[in-house]
Amino acid sequence: MQADEPGSLPKISITSLTRVFDTGGSRLAALGPVDLTVRPGEFVSIVGPSGCGKSTLLYMLGGFLQPSSGSLLADGRPITGPGVDRGIVFQEYALFPWLTVADNIAYGLRMKRMQAGELRDRVAAAIAMIGLGGFEHRFPRELSGGMKQRVALARTFIYDPQILLLDEPFGALDSQTRELMQDELLALWRSTGKTVLMVTHDVAEAVYLSNRVCVMSQRPGRVVAQFPISLDHDKGREAVMLSDQYRALHDQVWLEVRRQVGGKG
Amino acid sequence: MMTARGPRVVERIARLYPLLLLALLWEAVTRLHLVPPLFLPPLSVVLASLPQLLAQGDLAMPLLISLYRAAIGLVIAGVLGILLGLLIARVRWARLLFAPLVAFGAPAPKIAFLPVFILWFGIGHVSKIALVALTSIFPFIFAAQDGAEAVPRQQIWAAQAMGTGPWRLLAGVLLPAALPALFSGLRIALPYAIVTAFTAEMIAGGGGLGGALVMAQRYFETPTVYADIVVMLAVGYLLDIGLLALRHRWLRWQEESNDAPN
Amino acid sequence: MRRLAFLLPFALVLLGWQALGSSGLAPPEVLPSVAAVAHALADLLGGSEIYLNIGVTLARCFTGLAVGCLLGIPLGVAMASSRRIDGFFGPLITATYALPKTAVVPLFILWFGVGLRTEVAAVTLSALLPLVIYSYHGVRAVPGPLLWSAAAMGTGRVAMHWRILLPAAMRPTLTGVRTALGFSFIIGIATEMLAANLGIGKLIFQYGESGSYDYMFAAVLALMSVVYGIDAALLRLINHLLRWQDDDRAGAARG
Ligand SMILES: Nc1ncnc2c1ncn2[C@@H]1O[C@H](COP(=O)(O)OP(=O)(O)O)[C@@H](O)[C@H]1O
Ligand SMILES: [Mg+2]
Repeated sequence: MQADEPGSLPKISITSLTRVFDTGGSRLAALGPVDLTVRPGEFVSIVGPSGCGKSTLLYMLGGFLQPSSGSLLADGRPITGPGVDRGIVFQEYALFPWLTVADNIAYGLRMKRMQAGELRDRVAAAIAMIGLGGFEHRFPRELSGGMKQRVALARTFIYDPQILLLDEPFGALDSQTRELMQDELLALWRSTGKTVLMVTHDVAEAVYLSNRVCVMSQRPGRVVAQFPISLDHDKGREAVMLSDQYRALHDQVWLEVRRQVGGKG
Repeated sequence: MMTARGPRVVERIARLYPLLLLALLWEAVTRLHLVPPLFLPPLSVVLASLPQLLAQGDLAMPLLISLYRAAIGLVIAGVLGILLGLLIARVRWARLLFAPLVAFGAPAPKIAFLPVFILWFGIGHVSKIALVALTSIFPFIFAAQDGAEAVPRQQIWAAQAMGTGPWRLLAGVLLPAALPALFSGLRIALPYAIVTAFTAEMIAGGGGLGGALVMAQRYFETPTVYADIVVMLAVGYLLDIGLLALRHRWLRWQEESNDAPN
Repeated sequence: MRRLAFLLPFALVLLGWQALGSSGLAPPEVLPSVAAVAHALADLLGGSEIYLNIGVTLARCFTGLAVGCLLGIPLGVAMASSRRIDGFFGPLITATYALPKTAVVPLFILWFGVGLRTEVAAVTLSALLPLVIYSYHGVRAVPGPLLWSAAAMGTGRVAMHWRILLPAAMRPTLTGVRTALGFSFIIGIATEMLAANLGIGKLIFQYGESGSYDYMFAAVLALMSVVYGIDAALLRLINHLLRWQDDDRAGAARG
């Protein structure tokens, strides 16, 4: 609906997208049909029951999985495979266990062949941002779940992809760190104008961060409701989260998600 | 330091009492003439012959030859086997082409190829190296394949999303991810390589410690036979220890040792 | 269809082999032609020699393997369940692990003479270690709560071994049997090549020495096929015996 604004080519457009899995004889409809457009610079969240196909949707946007039917465009071009224009943060972190924290974060920049000096500075800055100073030379196995997740975020943000695909990126964090990282993400998004598509199960997080929250149905997941949101983040987190506007939106979304999880709708 | 360490060393040595018992039994049985010395010379005689054999170069040279053959064969097997294993894990045509051949070749007793390799390469180094390579390639193939197939797909996707091309993916992501498995494969392949070199030399001659052992047996120098066996045993043992130390240094990033029982 | 796909690479190998021969790159005295080997194979399969020799080898290897199982598996289980037994045999196993088993064949020849006894003894020795080690690790890996619940239900000491430990440690133990089978053939054939009156190893070596290369290749192919068949049969048997276990592949679809 909103993408039809004149003059703005949608950053992502998803049309009648479905995905079916072959599971040894039987076929499992995991997703769709989904229709969704995301404008450049928009921050869209997706919430829905677990197993409804949210990760599958992101995997297809990443170009790792092929759609069973429907079309997927990024910047107006069909998505045919992975590309550095779309950065993804996986629910499972997917860090490289043989690389240290610093080398994991530097990976994308190395692929871009960035010079050693600049690379070192950028990595140091990223490590400071995620509060992992002193852990540069640790291996992923030595980190807690929350630390790994922060490394995964930094690893993707640092090489500056136009589109960020985030799969429950704050799921493993304790609530303090989670709020900290949410605000970092918010600041990053506000200052860079990236397009963000985030999957989460945390309604408060979705409402707080996004321009728009999409609620999905049970598997095969479809977008059953969309809630446009415009909160004034200049006022700061406390003011936003205590505002009536935020609370009303939160309750609306929360009720819709409850309805979906309950299986109705 | 010393006081803390001393008892531990003593304890460790004490735990080896069965070996000592066995050595004593060996010595006693032979000293009491319960078995003829041609069959089993006293342990002390075997051990006493070691320095002399070493001094004459009757041990070192053949051992070096055997180790050379084992090492070259192992390197060839490692390079080809790892490449094959990674390709089979990741590339469709490679799997179709090579997987059946590997499945058929893996259980075959490779020693049966010795006469074939002698025909092709003579009785010198090359036939032994070829047999070593053929024997020890399979643990590498399976290790590389298993290791690469066990990499979580999200890890591969993460690399692709950050602009990693197909070859880079093979060498920069799948290879390191498979490294722990490869080490376990190497730990299987290394004794295969050594045993195969010794065995091929025993059967086909052409020098090496295996050849020396058979010659000693032919001339009824039984203490030398035992001395050769002791050296083979020690070499295998030391190499395995060295390998474990190497893994400890290289694979610090790994969660836990994924040793196959062996 | 899958059969066909499995056979295709072998057809390609045959094609390459034939091409090597007919292009003159590999003269027939180095690489006998496909036709010559096929002919030799047909001749072998029509006669009795190959059956006799493969039969002798198999009989000796299986005997050695059986003796190895009877000694090795109980030893492994005993070591896993008793500190004292582990303490005694552990160092001996570690010390002999690195021993190339073929190296003791000349000694066995000295002790037992050429033939049956030497080969069976050598096979037994080589089969012993994997059997001990795999069954040992198998029993050690049985989860404690399983044993506790069995004990709580009144399982006695002997029954614990038979009814609980052995089935629970079945997969690694059978893997040990399969590994030992492979070792058995290697050491059996090596022994025959070193000194033997009969056996497929001896036969292959003889063909090589007498220059009957087509027969040598044919005998190697026959041996490979037989061993492949035995190994595949054992694998099916293992999967059948373990059909009650969770199939690893069941969860694989999710990746
Ligand atoms: N490779 C696959 N093969 C078969 N089924 C799959 C596969 N991947 C996901 N699924 C199934 O598809 C559904 C959606 O999965 P997913 O996208 O991970 O859900 P979500 O991220 O919303 O929790 C689930 O029921 C899951 O079991
Ligand atoms: Mg998910």
